[in-house]
Amino acid sequence: MARNTHAVIVGGGTSKFGVREATLFDMVQEAAKACSDDIPALKPRDIDGLLFCSTKVGRHSNALNTAPLIAHRLGLKPTSICTRLDTLCAGSNTGIILAKGLVESGIAEVVLVTGAEKSYLPQRWETNYTELAVNDHDWDSAMGLGVPPPFFAMIAKMHMKRYGTTKEQMAHVSVANYNYGSTNPKAHFYPKTLTMEEALEARLIADPFGLFDCCPLTDGASAVIIASEERAREMSERPLVYIRGTGQHATHSMSAGWPGETLAEWPHLKKAAEVAYKNARVTPKDIDVAQVHDCFTISEIIEMEELGFCEKGEGGAYVASGALNLGGKRPINTDGGLISCGHPFGASGARQSLELCKQLQGRAINQAKNPKFALAHNLSGACAQHTVVIYGTEPVE
Amino acid sequence: MAELQEATIVGTPALDGRYITEMDMWPLECPEFNRLYQFYDNLREGRFTTTKCQKCGHIAFPPGVICPKCWSEELEWVDLPQRAKVVTFTETQAGAPIGFPRPLIMAWLGFDKDSPIKHLLVRIVNCTEGELKEGDEVRLVVFEVPSHPIEVKKETKICDRVYYAFEPVK
Ligand SMILES: [Zn+2]
Repeated sequence: MARNTHAVIVGGGTSKFGVREATLFDMVQEAAKACSDDIPALKPRDIDGLLFCSTKVGRHSNALNTAPLIAHRLGLKPTSICTRLDTLCAGSNTGIILAKGLVESGIAEVVLVTGAEKSYLPQRWETNYTELAVNDHDWDSAMGLGVPPPFFAMIAKMHMKRYGTTKEQMAHVSVANYNYGSTNPKAHFYPKTLTMEEALEARLIADPFGLFDCCPLTDGASAVIIASEERAREMSERPLVYIRGTGQHATHSMSAGWPGETLAEWPHLKKAAEVAYKNARVTPKDIDVAQVHDCFTISEIIEMEELGFCEKGEGGAYVASGALNLGGKRPINTDGGLISCGHPFGASGARQSLELCKQLQGRAINQAKNPKFALAHNLSGACAQHTVVIYGTEPVE
Repeated sequence: MAELQEATIVGTPALDGRYITEMDMWPLECPEFNRLYQFYDNLREGRFTTTKCQKCGHIAFPPGVICPKCWSEELEWVDLPQRAKVVTFTETQAGAPIGFPRPLIMAWLGFDKDSPIKHLLVRIVNCTEGELKEGDEVRLVVFEVPSHPIEVKKETKICDRVYYAFEPVK
């Protein structure tokens, strides 16, 4: 086994995200095709590892050992790894963490990380029912904790009460993300833009969330290539984008084990970020552009705080300051984020990381100015776990 | 078109037995399937309990068969407080999972400072929309939920089940 290499993200692609007239397998094929369009020199036979990231595998959350089926559909014959990850909303960023380890240890050289979810089911109630499966079955799901809006609404109410965060500040997040997404043809809500008035007058989903505070249910798939820098150079002439540091932190699977003083504090995110910053040898100040988990507007606000982009409690003022926009302090979710792209759980992480790869290669649609460091973040489930991946234009030496 | 004989599926009771059993929303509470059956037996007696470690004293929730602090197996059942205050809550009309009436009211509870559990996210029942306020006191309530067939050796038995939530103290 070769050793002493750095893992890089070479490129990737996604299917169209949205309400799709397609199966999960159709969309994985679309994402793989988009990935090969992005890396024309990539050949299926170059890929020695496959990580398939899907929580529900369409309507069939009881389907097992699905990675070989994906390998078959994509014409891959993996020799280093071929398995599925079900890390819910962080599925494909978790795949990227593992791919880095596999590549840097010499176990694998070229890994396809693909994520996919088919969330639109023939009857709407099926979705609400399967949502129960994403929580601690015997203890939280039996309380009815399933679809996320009620839980995150409580988080928002508490953040508003403790820190004075307002609905208007939350609307700044949805306006920024919709407007970024309006330029991304793959986004669920492309080409929709959003005004403050529209955001604030939207129908209520779960107090205090209006329609535009919430990411939608979405079908979609994404695929990225993680490879050793040597193999990446053979495939692509673009600048290399290094996976510098990662962190993933879980403290509880159950609402009784919530680690914060209240729901408005997310110390488990702070910890995951600390680990990733340390491994990446950077500080929050160094991050030029980021993709954070905006499942709800309040999530993005709290993430600004816990990632160290602003002081605790000042996330509302921070997002209202214009910091999120191009030309602002730190552009966030420049492809539209979950709010505009939609959130096919297993597909979201690779979609985020692909956007950061493009940012660091200078080829994003909404290009930040000369970014050197970029950060991707996901939370999973009822905020049970946090995942952080930091990229850079130079490796950690 | 040929007529196929329809099979009878013994599935999730809440869906008239027609859906895959994986989607059963309640725990399998009987000793044949669950070493924590005592928790549910205690609920039937009106007790809200969990496991306390006899080695290190840690009280965990949910209960377990080892202590999550020190991994000791020497545990005992202890009572938890049955009253708490509503810190924050949410009432949801849309998107309540099937089997749950609307509005589905969820609350984040705060327990007394000497309680071994500080907070719990629970369902509030026996409460109409608009009735609950932050700071309200709520108490444990136990109710029957659909029973489930279980196969024990060659016989099919019925696992009777209960679950719990909280309700406003009026
Ligand atoms: Zn112990």
